[in-house]
Amino acid sequence: MRSKKRDFNFILGICLLAITLIPAFVGLFWTPYDPEKMDYSMKLAGISIRHIYGCDNFGRDVFSRIMSGSGITLLIAVGTVLFGSILGTVIGCFTGYYGGLIDECLMRINDVALAFPSLLLALVIVSLMGTGKYQVMLALGLAFIPSYARIVRGEYLRIKNLDYVKAAKLAGASDMRIMFVHILPNTKTVLFSSVLIGFNNAILAEAGLSFLGIGVQPPDASLGRMLSEAQAYMFTNPSYVLFTGCTIVMLILGFSLLSKAKRWQ
Amino acid sequence: MKYVLKKLLSCIITLFIVSFLVFAAFALIPGDPALSKLGTNATQAALDAMRHKMGLDRPFLVRYFTWLFDAVRGNFGNSYSYSMPVASLILDKIPITLTLMVYSMILMVVISVPAGVYASYKEDTPVDRVIQIANQIVMAIPPFFSGILITLFFGIVLKLFTPGGFVSLNANPLKFLGFMFFPALAVALPKSAMVFNLLYTSLNGEKKKDYVRTAYSRGNRSKTVFFSHMLKNASIPTITFLGMAFADMIAGSIIIEQVFGIPGLGRILLTSIQNRDYPVVTGIIMLIAVTVIISNMIVDIIYKIVDPRVDA
Amino acid sequence: MSKLLHVEDLNIEFHDHLIPETVVYDFDLDMEPGEIVGLVGESGSGKSMSALAVAGLLSRHDMKKRGVIEFEGKNILSCSRSELRELQGDEICMIFQEPLTSLNPVKKIGWQVEEGLKIHTDMSPEERKKRAIKALEDVEIEDAQRVYDSYPHELSGGMRQRVMIAAATIGNPKLLIADEPTTALDVTVQSQIVELMKKINREKKTAILFISHDLSLVSALCERVLVMKGGYVVESGSVKEIFESPKEEYTRKLIDAIPKCGSTEDLVENGEPLAGMKDINVSFIKRKGKNKEKVHVLKDISLDIYEGEILGLVGESGCGKSTLAKTLLGLIKPDTGHVSAKFPNTQMIFQDPYGSLNPSKTVGFIMEEPLRNLTDKTPEERYALSKEMIEKVGLSEEFLQRYPSELSGGQRQRVCIATALMLGPKLIIADEPVSALDVTIQAEVLKLMMKLHMEMGISFLFISHDLRVVHQMCDRIMVMKDGEIVESGDRVKIYENPSHPYTKELLKSAGLGPGGVK
Repeated sequence: MRSKKRDFNFILGICLLAITLIPAFVGLFWTPYDPEKMDYSMKLAGISIRHIYGCDNFGRDVFSRIMSGSGITLLIAVGTVLFGSILGTVIGCFTGYYGGLIDECLMRINDVALAFPSLLLALVIVSLMGTGKYQVMLALGLAFIPSYARIVRGEYLRIKNLDYVKAAKLAGASDMRIMFVHILPNTKTVLFSSVLIGFNNAILAEAGLSFLGIGVQPPDASLGRMLSEAQAYMFTNPSYVLFTGCTIVMLILGFSLLSKAKRWQ
Repeated sequence: MKYVLKKLLSCIITLFIVSFLVFAAFALIPGDPALSKLGTNATQAALDAMRHKMGLDRPFLVRYFTWLFDAVRGNFGNSYSYSMPVASLILDKIPITLTLMVYSMILMVVISVPAGVYASYKEDTPVDRVIQIANQIVMAIPPFFSGILITLFFGIVLKLFTPGGFVSLNANPLKFLGFMFFPALAVALPKSAMVFNLLYTSLNGEKKKDYVRTAYSRGNRSKTVFFSHMLKNASIPTITFLGMAFADMIAGSIIIEQVFGIPGLGRILLTSIQNRDYPVVTGIIMLIAVTVIISNMIVDIIYKIVDPRVDA
Repeated sequence: MSKLLHVEDLNIEFHDHLIPETVVYDFDLDMEPGEIVGLVGESGSGKSMSALAVAGLLSRHDMKKRGVIEFEGKNILSCSRSELRELQGDEICMIFQEPLTSLNPVKKIGWQVEEGLKIHTDMSPEERKKRAIKALEDVEIEDAQRVYDSYPHELSGGMRQRVMIAAATIGNPKLLIADEPTTALDVTVQSQIVELMKKINREKKTAILFISHDLSLVSALCERVLVMKGGYVVESGSVKEIFESPKEEYTRKLIDAIPKCGSTEDLVENGEPLAGMKDINVSFIKRKGKNKEKVHVLKDISLDIYEGEILGLVGESGCGKSTLAKTLLGLIKPDTGHVSAKFPNTQMIFQDPYGSLNPSKTVGFIMEEPLRNLTDKTPEERYALSKEMIEKVGLSEEFLQRYPSELSGGQRQRVCIATALMLGPKLIIADEPVSALDVTIQAEVLKLMMKLHMEMGISFLFISHDLRVVHQMCDRIMVMKDGEIVESGDRVKIYENPSHPYTKELLKSAGLGPGGVK
């Protein structure tokens, strides 16, 4: 039976993501202007028909830069989430299923790591490995492992005591088969929503790191990096800062609305 | 009391692990501190002498325990780039960052708890929906962008404060607190949206529980059921989150200090990371670790007081 | 005598979906003061909804109620919330199925018992406390003072339900509505609670509306019964009428579903022992904070299961029945002792049909899993065998493509049985296989197991807390308490001539006993 209420979260989330993701995707192949081309005559130009979002302090087209910047931000987010969730899931699988001393030790470290804000953890890792987009991906990915490991471990702890796992044992399934064929598919709902949330956290953390100047380095432009550049000119040309910031807000809002959509529940 | 002691012991063990991990991470990275201190054209003899002076030629564990014992007594060594003791460098900045965090914490609770309780009490009314939408949007604003928006709105449009015009505590305490309100708001807003969300969902979750039905069956007013039965139950998960939020605020403060030009711990941490000034970085990270672990301990103790089911 | 409660043409509809869904149709009920009326039906029959409506607790805005509910002449459906509050907790009280979740976990017992008085009277705190202690003593709680200062999680299930009753009856209500109050409890505790309710009815002249799925429990307590199905009252009348001459097909089915004892068939001759355990000890380390506590779950258990028999294992929750089953299957390693069970000749059926089938796999996948892991049969052979087995348990081939979430509880349990049959086992261990099912479904599943026993010669170790089911099914019975087998013997001996006091107590709570087999 269909629910009376429409799934507004889903519709709105998809719309917001379309507004932000389509330009980012197009930006991989084509942008209205070269995002790196400087034109001092257009320095900090306001909104016009030629430059719909205006220009930055070097006269570069803001819209083109946002297009390519969101691309890099998203690339880092995807890399981070993939790295963190795959490693976290594997660790969570084994520790949750087998338990024992290794589990105790890993979870102790995990708890400490979780208590730390992931941005700080990434800060430490970046300070050890240096800056740049792949370093950021690795740093954030490492920083996200604990949260995935804990979620997956919790699911394994819960599911391994269910009767259908015992039934699988009685059907002669090996430990590996139970872990990956019988249990793993049942963690998908939990994993799916935490991946969506993780996406948001990755976007936020990357933007934070780049904003602080220790994330993505020039010539790469990411949204956080652009925002920190734009901040210096927010009094003379607030549209630069506002458009860049609003793109981040729309991305995050889109993902969080999507993760709250009724159809997953 | 026994519970507190037990928690304290487990905190010390955790701190021990953290200190080891932090020390190991920074001791094992490639790069020679002596080399970076003396420059690339230093002679081998000078380098050896420097390594000996800095204690780098001793075994790893010896170095760790020397560092640990010094750290316990408040000695984190000397900064490479500021050439002053790390401890006094940090100590100077603690009041600024601490003020920012405590301020944000207070603002966060003041904003989120009444809003969460009110929205849940008025569930499915227009008021609730308006609060929900506002909350969704606030939650999506990254702290640095909220800082920029606050600067634009309160600083430039309303002219309530001078952007970048930080006043130190010693110069004028009143102006200091007045200025700090805005960065604190920027840190608090995104977090209060999260606390709101958690409180709201757990309150709405409590509404479906059996004991609420029991309370109604005894003829309670809905107000009594809400405030005297549900609120305490719903506050239990929220308390855990407050502890985590406090830790998260450290990260928030570091970013917001950049937006508002506040010379706090965050600024030193960032410059030290860029200069590879590891004694300062380890010192600040250990300080953050202590703060996080202590705040978690306090949360655990409050938890125990609120929830009778927690075993001692 | 004036009527206490008069319900006429009560209809309840849900409006949260596009098509309104009616859950109760034309419900009629009259109750005299001091009367006990039973309301019987399986899950989803609308019995709880009707009861909640009577108590004025159905106030969701997406729900429509039509009809008349009069309590002492006052129409509850048209009452304002504040008028209703006057009645609730004072004149009409309610107790619920799950006593743990029905008590507020962060409030002390005393506070919760007194709450009704605090709302409806202006007694002083001291007086309230005195009344609360008295109320706790009235429900036969011995150390009322200690319980008064406890939290719900510190009490046992039976104690919590006593506390709920004390809280409900502290203001001497005229009507007590009990919604499945014994379902979550052990049998011996169940009968104590029923006795307690009888006592309250006798002493306080409280009328009781007793809702249950258990017809035999209702017959032990009530004078009058209403039978509900699919939102309709299908039959009503005195207990005697209903039992002796049920008019409706459904009522007859319900009565038939009550396991009958004293079947006359001969006991099967014992063959070879199929599986057995000798001097088994199992203990777990239970953690309570930092203190580790060793809990002895099985103590010196020895048993043998012979070919062609059904061995019953009876005991209350927590006595170690399930641990015994898992040890026998090798899922738990015993501390000491020897187990001889021939895997895969031994298979198991679990209690909760919702937890024992992997929700992300199709029925066909689940059924073929043992063949895939343990044999080298081709996919075609596997499919053919699973088709044969699913038909054997009374389901059709198309079920193989379905997911567990598309099946009902009874169908799931059939699938579990079919899966257990895949490797052609000699022995099936059935751990409470029917206790999560509705009574009529229970009877069907038991019939199926009996059929497999007769046709295929499969032996069963049948674990249950329900003595009637065990009597109906088993040839030989073992009684378990606190990890020990306190008594064992053939069916006639256990039921006609029990020697251990615990066996006697169990039989008494189940309404059975020497010579008294109904």
